[in-house]
Amino acid sequence: MTSGSTAPLAEPVAADTAPILEAVDITKRFGGLVAVSDVSFTIPRRSIVSIIGPNGAGKTTFFNMLSGLYKPTTGVIAFEGENITRRRPDQITARGVARTFQNIRLFGTMTATENVMVGYHARMKAGLFRSIIRPPMTAREEWKTRQRAREMLKFVGLQERVLDEVSVNLSYGDQRRVEIARALVSEPKLLLLDEPTAGMNPQESDRLKDFMIRLRDEQGLTILLIEHDMKVVLGVSERLTVLDHGEKIAEGEPDDVRSNPRVVEAYLGKQG
Amino acid sequence: MEAASITASRIAPTTASRLWANTREFLDQYGLIILLLAMPVAYGIHDILEDHSLSHLLRNIKEGLSNGAIYAIIALGYTLVYGIIELINFAHGDLFMIGTATSASVLAWLIGPIGLLLACVAALLIAMITCASINAMIERIAYRPLRGAPKLAPLITAVGFSFLLVNVGQLWLSGQHVSVGDPIDNSVAFFTVFDVPFTHGDAIAFGVAIPLLLALTAFITTSRLGKAMRATAQDPEAARLMGINVDTTISVTFIIGGLLAGAAGLMWALYQNDVYFFQGFQAGLIAFTAAVMGGIGNLKGAVLGGLIIGCIQVINDDRWNATWTPAVVFIYLILIMVFRPRGLVGEETREAG
Amino acid sequence: MSALTQARASLTPAFMKNERQRRTASRVLAVALIVFVAILPLFFPLTATFVNTSTIALAYIVMALGLNIVVGFAGLLDLGYVAFYALGAYAMGWFGSTYFVKEGSSASINVFAGPEAKGQVGIHFNFLLILLAAVVICAIAGILIGLPTLRLRGDYIAIVTLAFGEIIRVIAVNGESIHLFGYELTNGKKGITPIDVPSLPGYGTLPIQDFNLRPWYWLALVMVLVVLFCNIRLRDSRLGRAWIAIREDEVAATSMGIPAVKTKLLAYATGAAFGGMSGAFLGAYLRTVNADQFEFSFSILILAMVILGGLGSIWGVVLGAAVLSYIDRQIIQETGPNLLKDLGITIDASQLGFGVFGFLLVVMMVLRPEGLLPERRRKLEFEEGVGTGETMLEARVT
Repeated sequence: MTSGSTAPLAEPVAADTAPILEAVDITKRFGGLVAVSDVSFTIPRRSIVSIIGPNGAGKTTFFNMLSGLYKPTTGVIAFEGENITRRRPDQITARGVARTFQNIRLFGTMTATENVMVGYHARMKAGLFRSIIRPPMTAREEWKTRQRAREMLKFVGLQERVLDEVSVNLSYGDQRRVEIARALVSEPKLLLLDEPTAGMNPQESDRLKDFMIRLRDEQGLTILLIEHDMKVVLGVSERLTVLDHGEKIAEGEPDDVRSNPRVVEAYLGKQG
Repeated sequence: MEAASITASRIAPTTASRLWANTREFLDQYGLIILLLAMPVAYGIHDILEDHSLSHLLRNIKEGLSNGAIYAIIALGYTLVYGIIELINFAHGDLFMIGTATSASVLAWLIGPIGLLLACVAALLIAMITCASINAMIERIAYRPLRGAPKLAPLITAVGFSFLLVNVGQLWLSGQHVSVGDPIDNSVAFFTVFDVPFTHGDAIAFGVAIPLLLALTAFITTSRLGKAMRATAQDPEAARLMGINVDTTISVTFIIGGLLAGAAGLMWALYQNDVYFFQGFQAGLIAFTAAVMGGIGNLKGAVLGGLIIGCIQVINDDRWNATWTPAVVFIYLILIMVFRPRGLVGEETREAG
Repeated sequence: MSALTQARASLTPAFMKNERQRRTASRVLAVALIVFVAILPLFFPLTATFVNTSTIALAYIVMALGLNIVVGFAGLLDLGYVAFYALGAYAMGWFGSTYFVKEGSSASINVFAGPEAKGQVGIHFNFLLILLAAVVICAIAGILIGLPTLRLRGDYIAIVTLAFGEIIRVIAVNGESIHLFGYELTNGKKGITPIDVPSLPGYGTLPIQDFNLRPWYWLALVMVLVVLFCNIRLRDSRLGRAWIAIREDEVAATSMGIPAVKTKLLAYATGAAFGGMSGAFLGAYLRTVNADQFEFSFSILILAMVILGGLGSIWGVVLGAAVLSYIDRQIIQETGPNLLKDLGITIDASQLGFGVFGFLLVVMMVLRPEGLLPERRRKLEFEEGVGTGETMLEARVT
């Protein structure tokens, strides 16, 4: 996995304990609307943390800023010590951040395998001329990428017979799996999951929960989750951050946050 | 856990970057206006130095406004349709050409028998109705079935109809430039101000354009259909939920667009006196530039854009070389699309996301 | 599997169901087709009209394959493709004729040009070098034209590219008044003529068209094979996937690590390069390069070929280009008029070109918008509305 070509801004005391991502005083304004207001946020390495909050709280907007789709109006975001605030999404992905989307955004007319191969784009080298001439090195790269894609799909639980099925024909659960596989194949260090259990039944959510824990423990991944399903959130998060109307209103261990009166009020007792 | 490492390194805006940001904002706000004014102002200064009088430029501008009135009417057709279904009606320019051909034929046929004034009125009505019918038919046959298809499909269909109309015009006018004669004595002036003559031609241009605009504005703002059109342009789904028949509303929009194209055709026939089957393509692109310049989807913008483009065209034709005018207009179009796609007056007509 | 896939599966003969067998079958078919096309002119006289039309059709196939990359793969609606035809043809006119010479001067630059060009005034490069120059010039032009369109939505891209095409046309028409280092840029509607006859290494100079069309045909065929090869390789490559991803969902594509700007510009450049190559060939084949050749309707003709064949489908585009070329040249210009005369209709059929073409476009879009040989993607786009590329969220993201 490449670690970027820029030096860290500040030498961490102990490399392992420096947060993998830091966001400071992030604000996002769309014209007159303030979607996110002065949110500071860090993600410790090798952890699973969640952002929760009622609808419209600004969670996805915040997410989009982390992955580079939006630029913060003010504030700084640093990943692995490097300032990524103004970077394009593809640059951020190349540095090791991968994401999924709330409404699944697969490339509908590509097969599951092809979708995941696209996920590996940043780690491949073939350019225009190598794609046409296809020297042995490139042919091998293509083949290896295809194998890698198929293995990743099997790893997330897709069955062999649908690996070459056009993704729009896949079941909802399978599509979610493909999205995750597509994010994982780029060998990210930080995985951003936007409501990954939406539309899943309890067993599937449970399986995803265990899967996330495996990713953290076996592969050293850091995961940031937006979630509405409290069972999943409470079962998997080391730390919870609550947003409401664009502001951070609480942060801490799940049990503490649960009983925070402001949090309860924000939800008006709807979730539980 | 304070992220001291980041706070310390947060880049304070330097004077250079602040200056750049301010420049960009200034350009974004006023860049287009500066671009548009550049040519007239430059020639104005040139005129003052050379002739010690602005009358040459004023004559250009007057002529530009008259031409621009015609372009404005055509541009309104583009902007109405785009505002409501986000489709560039490629065939609109050639529809206008059919309007000019219709007007020319009716005038040639009727001026003798029933006199100039009645012939003009007849030509106006017949051209408007013809173009409105054609536009409505195109919408029904081609665009409606393709509303769900990717944007490419209706666009290509529009091009197809554009070519069909060109061929109709080609056969109608025998592939030649057809002169309408000069029934209203275009160059005869009613009066002259600052050495700038206001001619019969100008009277026709404004005399048809202004009532049309007033009628259109009244219709859009007060009538039920007009309100339906505005609602559908803003948010078709919500409009449908409110009980508005979106299909009918769209058809009405096309009909109005056709009426405008026909009227513009009559104006052109009387003002320019020359009718040619390939005029629609060029006039269409110029009018579309005008619509974009003003702000696509915005009616006031279309009118403003039309007038401005008219001036640019006349100034360029007169001062430089008419064969280069299309290129100049298109360069303006590209610059606008790149640097200020919302145009002079425009805002998003469709709520996004 | 969808109903369509099931239906299709049940119609395929048993021995073709294996993926590898299917691939071999299509390879055999492709080779057979190419051999057939290669020996075709042998069945006709040396200067048959059919061979002439076919040569032009082959050149148009290259154009269509180029445009297919821009519109079909990357989804960038380019309505100004004629610009690259013009630039390629003018490259041939500038570097392969007696055009670039000042009054009274007898300066000449000769770079591996054929023996006929020896001693002739003007710039004369070898045909292959000119092809290379055309490719480079057009690739750069493609990037320049593509740059302003990068942040625009579909129909706006169409208008901007159309505007560029028209600007090039106006420059071509007015070229006599543009002076570059004292030379006129183009010869307007009079045209740059005659163009050098190509001289190929190892073959020698091609015969003049009045005597033998076959070598021209085969030269065009070689061009087609090269471009076809490039297209097929690109489609199943990292870059090809990137193009399709951008077309389907630019937001998701960039989030997966695909650089939007670079990828789109590569599409424009590659598509333009092929257009320029074909343009240069046509400049030599038609023996003249004049501004009348570069009208907007040409852009639509090539686009229609791509659409008729099936956007993004390589073989579909080849078929669409072949069909439309023949319709354009043979039927509109010959068979049609003759038929009308036989039927006693007095309309001059050459005056019906626009109408027939327009009618075809409308019929195409209303009856079979996905094209003759659509790739599976297009079928899905038109049947199930998948991956059409334009989403509201995408419009909002800055």
